[in-house]
Amino acid sequence: MLDRLKDLWAHRELLFNMTKKELKVKYKRSVLGFFWSFMTPLVMLAVFALVFAILAGNGVMQWYVVYIIAGLFPWLFFVNSVTQSVGTVVGNPGLVKKVYFPREILPLAAIGANVFHFALQMLVLFVFLLAIGWHFSIHLLYLPLVFLLEVAFTLGLCMFVSAANVYLRDVQHFVEVATMAWFWLTPIVYLVGQVMNVLGGWFRLYLLNPMTNITELWQFIIYNPHYYAPESYEAGAMQVNYLSFWGITGTAVLSVLLVVFGYWYFVRKERGFAEQI
Amino acid sequence: MANAIEINDVSKMFKLYHENVQSLKEKVLFFRKRGFEEFWALKDVSVEVEEGETLGVIGANGSGKSTLLKCMTRILYPTKGTIVTNGTIAALLELGAGFQPDLTGRENVYLNASILGFSRREVDRRFDEIVAFAEMERFIDNYVRNYSSGMYIRLGFAVAISVDPDILIIDEVLAVGDEAFQRKCIERIEEIQQAGKTIVFVTHNVDITKEICTKVIMLDQGEVVKEGSPKEVVNYYHMAMETEEPGTEFGNRKIVVKGVALLDQDDKAVMDFYTGQTMKVRVLYECSEPVDDPVFGFSIDDYRGFTAYGTNTKLKGMNLGTLSGEGVVEFEMNSLPMLDGRYLVSVAIHSRDEKTVYHWLDKRFPFDMHSDIDDAGLLYIPTEVTVTPL
Repeated sequence: MLDRLKDLWAHRELLFNMTKKELKVKYKRSVLGFFWSFMTPLVMLAVFALVFAILAGNGVMQWYVVYIIAGLFPWLFFVNSVTQSVGTVVGNPGLVKKVYFPREILPLAAIGANVFHFALQMLVLFVFLLAIGWHFSIHLLYLPLVFLLEVAFTLGLCMFVSAANVYLRDVQHFVEVATMAWFWLTPIVYLVGQVMNVLGGWFRLYLLNPMTNITELWQFIIYNPHYYAPESYEAGAMQVNYLSFWGITGTAVLSVLLVVFGYWYFVRKERGFAEQI
Repeated sequence: MANAIEINDVSKMFKLYHENVQSLKEKVLFFRKRGFEEFWALKDVSVEVEEGETLGVIGANGSGKSTLLKCMTRILYPTKGTIVTNGTIAALLELGAGFQPDLTGRENVYLNASILGFSRREVDRRFDEIVAFAEMERFIDNYVRNYSSGMYIRLGFAVAISVDPDILIIDEVLAVGDEAFQRKCIERIEEIQQAGKTIVFVTHNVDITKEICTKVIMLDQGEVVKEGSPKEVVNYYHMAMETEEPGTEFGNRKIVVKGVALLDQDDKAVMDFYTGQTMKVRVLYECSEPVDDPVFGFSIDDYRGFTAYGTNTKLKGMNLGTLSGEGVVEFEMNSLPMLDGRYLVSVAIHSRDEKTVYHWLDKRFPFDMHSDIDDAGLLYIPTEVTVTPL
């Protein structure tokens, strides 16, 4: 395993170049190029802001748009990384069959490109927040840690699915369907409190979803519910945010295990890649 | 000297599935039926390559050459046996592998070079050299999707060949490009050799191996059938290839060649001749009806179909009149000038105007030339060398 990491380190420049290639190729031949990376989050923000401004009268909490975006951009990073990396090994037969390099670079480059897009989205979001005079939470300082947690979970899963997909192409289709369902199992567009009310004692099961815990963390540090939804902390009120100690600890442990397992599985299966695709 | 590559009893098995079962539904449905055949692409291959050596790997299509190279470069992993390599490896299994059509030539040079293990600084240093080698100065900032296949390959080769590994593995990439470019590539390979690097080289153009390899192995159906000096193995290769396709025979058979013998100076039929030796081609003919003014001829071709020499009775100014029954025609050559290699004799009988062919045996009678002379080329031309310092 250590040898593998050394080999990967020796090829760090390739990883960087492959990531750059992913980004360049995406917007090649388009006139506006990288501008599109800004457009998507901008339009999302604008549309959501408009929709919730219209709905504001119907008892929607304030700055619901920020609440959604705080969970949605990290979710998009996760789901794009997984759906894009799952096909990277299968989609590059020219490289896998003809050149040696540590194969994990393929899914890693897909994740790398998404890290870049996520950074742009966050930039857009923070410019927007500054523009509207947002009251930032001190907990925003945890952002690097929260991001690290999400990257670890994403990384482990991407390694696993991209290697498994070589042997069983269903994985690719399964990932597509599963992530769609997963989106609605995660409190991004609705409130965690609504689930609590419905599930009652079964709510613990809901917290087994690592993305729930990660999303709650993002919403906590960006949306700042203490300031913008103080009523949710009153007894009996609908909770806007819920941080579970065991949920977060469990997610962290799971993510580390998943990275180790995903990498181990990838390396173990890698020997057959050139024959299978 | 230390070994750069040690291949110990390597075997590689591929599973050939009857049905390409790859989705879950099929896996469940055909769980019991899922059958495969074992195909052994390599069988107990053992080769050692010393540091600084250039190994050539030859063999027919499907003999396992590429599989062996892929095992050396960790693209495939042997089913049995081990491969030990000392030093960094660069492999050119395909030129321009990983070229992105939507990036420019310049961007692709950097990307491709990093796939081959270059750092950005190294590419910066060699960039002009690479572009000059590929003769792509004018097009380097164009998109690769607009490149011709020749440009694509030249650029791929230029990037690949500028790598500086301890071991360079090349698969069949010299077959591309025009002759001038091929020449340049061989020169570059010779430079790499002189730098003391180890090279492993697969090719169909076996004669190149004579030029640049120090050792050659021949594979057949996954096994090493011959290992040794390039000359030795290449001759063996040509012999093995020829036995599979005997030359053709045609004509109206009014006169038939009943037998052909290649005789040495003692009139003994032999297969092996030496440079400078005498050779007699004896042709036994039989006429089924009287034939007016036939012409007898023969020619000697090498395995590439290149005619080394040929003549006939017409060119010699002879008129044979009307022939009937049996007879013998002999062509005697005083001194064979050819150096090493395998040659094939053709014998023909036709009319004077060459419109009617009575019997033509094309490249049917092989013999081998041997030589103690180390000179290069096809023919021995006696040469006196004098050096006079002025």
